Amino acid sequence: MVDEEEIIHVAKLMKIELADYNIHIKKVQKMLEYFDILDEANIESEDLIVQETDVDKLRDDKHVIYDKKLLKFLKNYQETYVKAPKLS
Amino acid sequence: MNLGISALNYVNSIKNGDFTVEEFIEKSFERIKKVDDKLHAFLSFNDIALEKAKGIDRRISSNQKIGQCFGMPISVKDNMCVEGTKTTCASKVLENFISPYTGTAVSRLETEDAIIIGKTNLDEFAMGLSTEFSAYGSSKNPWNVDYVPGGSSGGSAVSVSANECIASLGSDTGGSIRNPASFCSIVGLKPTYGLVSRFGLVSYANSLEQIGPMTKTVEDSAFLLNIISGIDHNDNTTIDNKNQDYLKDIDAGIAGKKIGVVTEMTNPNGLSTSVLNATNDAIKKFEDLGANCEQVSLGMSKYAVAAYYTITSTEAGSNLARYDNIRYGYEFDSSGFEFNSYISQARSKLGPEVIRRMILGGFVPSAGHAGKYFLKALKVKSKLITEINNIFKKFDYLISPTVPIQPFKFGEKINDPVSFMLVDFNTVTANLTGIPAISVPFKIEDGLPIGIQIMANHMDEHSLLQAAYALEKTVSLPEVEI
Repeated sequence: MVDEEEIIHVAKLMKIELADYNIHIKKVQKMLEYFDILDEANIESEDLIVQETDVDKLRDDKHVIYDKKLLKFLKNYQETYVKAPKLS
Repeated sequence: MNLGISALNYVNSIKNGDFTVEEFIEKSFERIKKVDDKLHAFLSFNDIALEKAKGIDRRISSNQKIGQCFGMPISVKDNMCVEGTKTTCASKVLENFISPYTGTAVSRLETEDAIIIGKTNLDEFAMGLSTEFSAYGSSKNPWNVDYVPGGSSGGSAVSVSANECIASLGSDTGGSIRNPASFCSIVGLKPTYGLVSRFGLVSYANSLEQIGPMTKTVEDSAFLLNIISGIDHNDNTTIDNKNQDYLKDIDAGIAGKKIGVVTEMTNPNGLSTSVLNATNDAIKKFEDLGANCEQVSLGMSKYAVAAYYTITSTEAGSNLARYDNIRYGYEFDSSGFEFNSYISQARSKLGPEVIRRMILGGFVPSAGHAGKYFLKALKVKSKLITEINNIFKKFDYLISPTVPIQPFKFGEKINDPVSFMLVDFNTVTANLTGIPAISVPFKIEDGLPIGIQIMANHMDEHSLLQAAYALEKTVSLPEVEI
């Protein structure tokens, strides 16, 4: 079983505060326990199928002017800048 | 006026002058007013729908060119952007988010004069299969309001099933169109990955999800797919389908076709008795239609649910990292907060299932665990694709019940995450392999619906819809009474 402390550590890295601590940890543990079924799949030697996209199939890399005022959709902004909290 | 008519019959009625677009939209809103307090299919409504209807009526009366949809009311799952309207993803984090643009699938419908009547309920960020994880309350199954409507596109399915609109657009990452379609007795199509543009769909697990139609009939799904499919330069995963007409020869039948009945998805130990009996009935119907059915094993499907949740959680962990409340979100002043604590505080508005998936999404690809979980999940996905490719060399279709069980009661599964995940057992394979799959209403047992799932090879929607149409014509199901 995956250690509770490890899950709490990951939650912290994800910047998630766990209010219902016990409920979340237990459910995440149960889900991870179920994922152990992957160990039985016998796929270690399997090659990964990777989907490739040719560069010439991508849209042209050119600037397209967007004529709508997106700033008004932001909650916190000053003049033409996004306003973020202080870094510390 | 019959609000339960199909999209194609609606178009004919408008062309014949049986009623006006305005009359139909007005009646649809009356219907919504009557039933939606009970069903909670919608999260928001389009205030200018009636105005649009009047405009289309004016164009009809002055013999101007009208788009193929002739003003039919269509609902849209609230994880798709429609310019100037709220797109909440059923999350408190986005409760005030107004879309600055319209996504491609919706825009193509609007170009064809569909009227987007409102946005429908879902599990928060499409993570769930019952709408019980919506931050705005669950939708109710119109067949019995004590039961879940399925999800995550539950509101869309309810809105179509309860005749609040003609059709809906849903999104399907692991069964989110097909599961509620099955639970509410409507048709739900998950197209081939790349057939429909995801531009404007709020990302949850973008390597798997697809937008698709949810309709009253198979023909209606073909009709809507004709409009929304095809290449889009705003989504480079889209495929050029050469404007294929999915309605053409939809009644061609399936005589002589080979159908594989997926052993793992029809295992009596995994299905409820009613679903097992319905599946056997469906196999008999396919055989009566001249198809040859035989059992086929899809060995990797046993691991598909674990692989699916590992991959989707990983992508969700990355996709949902953008919800830091800085660029968009809810009213919450940034002053006085340090960066990390501000983001933690902002994310405290995320619901429980989203939080769990984000934690999982941080855990399974992390250093020390990626080899055990994420890499293995990707390998299962690869082997499943190989298995599917080999199977479709011998078979035209694969079938199974869409969901192993009938709709369940609210709260019945919510506390058991594994039993909850296994409800997706029959649907996730189509997402992991990218193939198209459809749920067709097949039976009502004890007052609750059962749907049958048909899968076909990549880009073979034309043939898939022919099989679905053939099956649909073998059954006559009651209308929902609400």
